[in-house]
Amino acid sequence: MRPLFEQDHYEVLETRRDATPDQIERSYRMALATYAEDSLAGYSVFTEGDSSAIRERIEMAYRVLADEEARREYDRSLGDPDDLLEAAFDAEAFDDAQPVAHLLSLEEKPAEPEAIAAFEDVDDGRGDFDGARLRRFRLRCGMELDDISRITKINNGYLSAIEEERFADLPSRVYVRGFVTAFASTLGLDTTSVTTSYMKLYDEGQQHRRKSRFF
Amino acid sequence: MISNERGDTTDSFESPASDRPGQAQLIPIGGGKGGVGKSFVVANLAAALAQAGYRVVAVDGDLEGANLHTCLGVPKPQTSLADFVAHREDDLQKLVLPTPIKNLQLIAATDGNLAAPQPSHSRRVRLTRELRKLSADFVLLDLGAGTHSAVMDYFMIGHDGVVVIAPEPTSVENAYAFIRAAFYRRLRLAMVSHDVREIVTTAMDQRNERGIRTPLHLLKEIQSLDSAEGTRFVATMQAFRPRIVINDVRTAEDVKLGFSIRSVCHKYFGIEADYLGYVNHDDKARLSLRSRRPIVDLYPRSDAAIYLSRIARKLAATSSVAASGVRPAEPTTPQPQPSRSSAPVSDSVRSRRPNPGPD
Repeated sequence: MRPLFEQDHYEVLETRRDATPDQIERSYRMALATYAEDSLAGYSVFTEGDSSAIRERIEMAYRVLADEEARREYDRSLGDPDDLLEAAFDAEAFDDAQPVAHLLSLEEKPAEPEAIAAFEDVDDGRGDFDGARLRRFRLRCGMELDDISRITKINNGYLSAIEEERFADLPSRVYVRGFVTAFASTLGLDTTSVTTSYMKLYDEGQQHRRKSRFF
Repeated sequence: MISNERGDTTDSFESPASDRPGQAQLIPIGGGKGGVGKSFVVANLAAALAQAGYRVVAVDGDLEGANLHTCLGVPKPQTSLADFVAHREDDLQKLVLPTPIKNLQLIAATDGNLAAPQPSHSRRVRLTRELRKLSADFVLLDLGAGTHSAVMDYFMIGHDGVVVIAPEPTSVENAYAFIRAAFYRRLRLAMVSHDVREIVTTAMDQRNERGIRTPLHLLKEIQSLDSAEGTRFVATMQAFRPRIVINDVRTAEDVKLGFSIRSVCHKYFGIEADYLGYVNHDDKARLSLRSRRPIVDLYPRSDAAIYLSRIARKLAATSSVAASGVRPAEPTTPQPQPSRSSAPVSDSVRSRRPNPGPD
């Protein structure tokens, strides 16, 4: 671990040397959110000067890593990652008199924001879906209802009713089916199985409502 | 063996149970702030581990605000940790109480002495030794709020205590103070040189005159003064891996908070925190508290129970108990599944589970 301003661009964005452009983009957005002026995680730790300096450093890293040519050039200047790794674990490289240097040389596994998926270790996206599971999957994807609404153009209130299974607040069946399909698609789920299982729940709910009304 | 500033040896707090095969794995669970759901999380993690077949003792370390017994459905106990603190009982095992959940026992903290609720330092050292001797696979220790030295000492029982954080500014602020206090206390005990310890003590004052603001600044100071102590500093820093749980998550932003806190700990403090998991907000949590039963027991298919069970599985999978090959007994209740889901469990997960349940 070394101070931020001595870290390379990958360390700053907490991503790996072999990160895809998409991963770089996600890491950049995560870093920006973490070190935003009003960030819940940072506001009590950083002065405004600290966080703006960190944001500048993040921007600098992103400018290089988001540009294919600039990144290639930068990677060349960093050297071969395998060489660095070997050096880090080379017993000869350990210098008792230089603990800071030793600490710097340790290979770190960068944190990947998309590692949210690691928490979902019992849910591989297959099988039946209800509202609660759709919500869990949405959180796993790091998406708010507003994000889904923006992409699908579905009213936020309907999405919320789908997750909470408030069937009475939803429009007619044909619309609900379309909403659920779009919702599932946005989360990268198998739309057929999600929609089939969810609509089964919806039908049961509607049947129950009709019976309750009758009695 | 290193002496601390009071002349006590530090090995009592420095050697986590994970270094000692055959002993109970101690997992301290704190967070700095009250009201973030620590006792709720402790009660449910303990219950989930017990349901998985592990022998678990949940210990209420909050002598000034005991309520773990309530979360576990144990009527007001007649014996508690307060008896140990007041020297009325030296054998901790005799304070262990049964709970309604199989494999799960409790040491309550009720009826503490209001005049002197916290044990003396020597009594704390004795307590940590006694905790390790408890007949259990896991001992989960519910810590009180704040950064009192007693709380910090309990948190140091293991290298990787759990910090429970609610996604709100006050909780996050206190969590950083808690992590920082735990790290500096551990560091001060690990340093041998008097001069270096003095610098660590100075750094514990955020507005210190030397301008040391973070552990990384402190490391540079110490390294320039004494390279051997610098090496010890690095070892202490690397061994300290607090684990974060975000409780009562409502939005995707709340989920990401754990990653952000981990990033700030890494970049600013130089401390490697692990993000152990998050627990979704769930109205059933309130109902389970009112029923005085853990949610993993009362509503195992609820959102919160699913997430708590998941964290319990991670705790078990990364513990020395799992590494030492201890096999839990048969699970006492079916493991909760995603509600109404028939999703299969992946092979990688199955292989990490101590004793595959019916799922």
